Amino acid sequence: MDPVTVNILESTMVSICREMGIVLMKTAYSTIFSEALDFTCGLANMEGDLIAVADYCPSQIGGLPLLVKSCLREIPVSELEEGDIILHNDPYRGGLHTPEHTFFKPIYVEQELMGFAVAIGHIQEVGGMVPGGFCGEATEIFHEGIRIPPVKIKKRGKDNLEVWKLLLANVRTPRTNFGDLSALIAAVDLGESRSVQTIEKYGKALFAETIKDLLDYSERRMRAELRAIPDGIYRFKDNIESDGVDEGRTYVIEVEAHKTGDEIIIDYYGSSPQAKGPINATLGVATSAAYNAVLHMTDPSIPRNSGCFRPIRVLAPPGTILNVDYPGPEVGGNTETHPRIVGTILGAMANAVPSRTMAAEGGTHSNFVFGGVDAETGDYFICYDIAGVGWGGRSFADGNDGVDSINGNCRPTPIEVFETRFPWRVEFLAFDTDSGGAGKFRGGVGYTKQMICLNDEVTCSQMTDRHLFAPWGLHEGKPGGLGATLILKAASETWQNVREAYGKKSTSRYSNITIRKGDRIRLASPGGGGFGNPGDRDRSLVLNDVLQGYVSSAAAEREYDFKAKAV
Amino acid sequence: MKFSENGLYIEDYIKCATCGVLIYENHDQKPLTINNVTYCSQWCIDWKNARDSRRAASRQEDQFKDGPAKEDKD
Repeated sequence: MDPVTVNILESTMVSICREMGIVLMKTAYSTIFSEALDFTCGLANMEGDLIAVADYCPSQIGGLPLLVKSCLREIPVSELEEGDIILHNDPYRGGLHTPEHTFFKPIYVEQELMGFAVAIGHIQEVGGMVPGGFCGEATEIFHEGIRIPPVKIKKRGKDNLEVWKLLLANVRTPRTNFGDLSALIAAVDLGESRSVQTIEKYGKALFAETIKDLLDYSERRMRAELRAIPDGIYRFKDNIESDGVDEGRTYVIEVEAHKTGDEIIIDYYGSSPQAKGPINATLGVATSAAYNAVLHMTDPSIPRNSGCFRPIRVLAPPGTILNVDYPGPEVGGNTETHPRIVGTILGAMANAVPSRTMAAEGGTHSNFVFGGVDAETGDYFICYDIAGVGWGGRSFADGNDGVDSINGNCRPTPIEVFETRFPWRVEFLAFDTDSGGAGKFRGGVGYTKQMICLNDEVTCSQMTDRHLFAPWGLHEGKPGGLGATLILKAASETWQNVREAYGKKSTSRYSNITIRKGDRIRLASPGGGGFGNPGDRDRSLVLNDVLQGYVSSAAAEREYDFKAKAV
Repeated sequence: MKFSENGLYIEDYIKCATCGVLIYENHDQKPLTINNVTYCSQWCIDWKNARDSRRAASRQEDQFKDGPAKEDKD
């Protein structure tokens, strides 16, 4: 192995992936891409193994190889031609959830296939029961929108118009979808052309050899990291509060992590049977979540590719909430269940590697989706709005405040953009005092956004979590604060949750409520759990928390035995 | 995965009972079936058996820790 060439080529490919993402961000129509960056761009080799990826959405990184490999089983390499682009979103064939659309384009150099440029993006409108794709009350895949098996959306560089027509006939916002899908195509086009330039520069043989070396190098680095973790069987369980359908029922995520030598096996055996409602994870999600957790516990400088996944084996029994069977609903598995799986694995490993784990984070993206006809323009609008949460305290620092959950890495849409694009006025957005769990290192705080509806009516749905079960603390740290969704109807003076206001079965997962002009909605995101005994927290940090408004004087006295007035 | 004869739709999603991976008909995978349960490999069968034994032993150990089962006095 020539380490210099490996390093240069790896950096070049990561730069290509970043550039793919920038093209996607700048050319997409929806705020979910232009602001939230809910996508991932990567490069794969001929077998579908990930060889480089940019730092966009982690939930899609681990799923990428499975996606490409699944597609190649149905459209073999022998049936691919230069200029083809494959599209796929089927959750049961390696996909993550229905909105996640994968595009990949073969990279040919002198008629020889060298790999694939891949872009995975969350298309916010996919048809189905609700505008915005997150039907909190879905009971089968068909409620969740259009399902696309691996198909060629471009053949030899030309649009496959029949596929386009079929896709755009099944969504509420065909113009926007056309723009977003075209942006994903632009990303893989750019990835392909840049890769061709790179391969031509280095030569095919050296490129192929260096990629092999790169994957082996990542594998060695990951094995060395795992070797340093004490061997053992580590267990942890966590509970999901609702599936939006079966009222009052809760669901268990169970993890048994077997760490032996330089390998780790994550076994989800014992997790609840799959739910009726849409909290089920696909195999791609369960696999990706395990990779995500291990990546959080190991050296972040290891090049992210399939090599570093080789020492990780994932066992996800079918028919459970961690490996949904057809035709079970699954849209919340990728957003809500994924971070909870990561948290459960980190909880299992908390005593093995306390310096590299954290208390529970908020574990939700809020997933407030809405749509309707704009009273002024007559256009149909749709938005998928993401919120940040508090992250868990760590052995060396407080949790992050108001950051997108652990599998997202997405950005909340700025208020100015939000108000320009959609008929709401945001009345305030502020961190929630006392929402971070107390601890030597406290949990990060969540925040609340309150807005008033300016349109005649807007249809809203949500798939969130932590309205009942607070994020847990670690090593005597206290739980973080709960999230909430509250409505104040224009004619009322009482804030109500959706169970009270609309008779829904769950306050955190619901579909198609109508918000009218003058109604207000308040979305509060959960905080993170604390790490370590609150009594061990540095007094100057508690004082600073009080002065900055993260912790109230009353909570400082109650949780930290700290009298702010006496200082 | 079992495709229809015309190849246009899926008739059955076949998954390994232990690790959950899809098993494709007519591909290089060689599934194993025991007691009508399908596995993708001998490794997954061995893991399942070892897990069952480990959990059974763990249950016995817990019983021992709790002492002999007490008779219901009612």
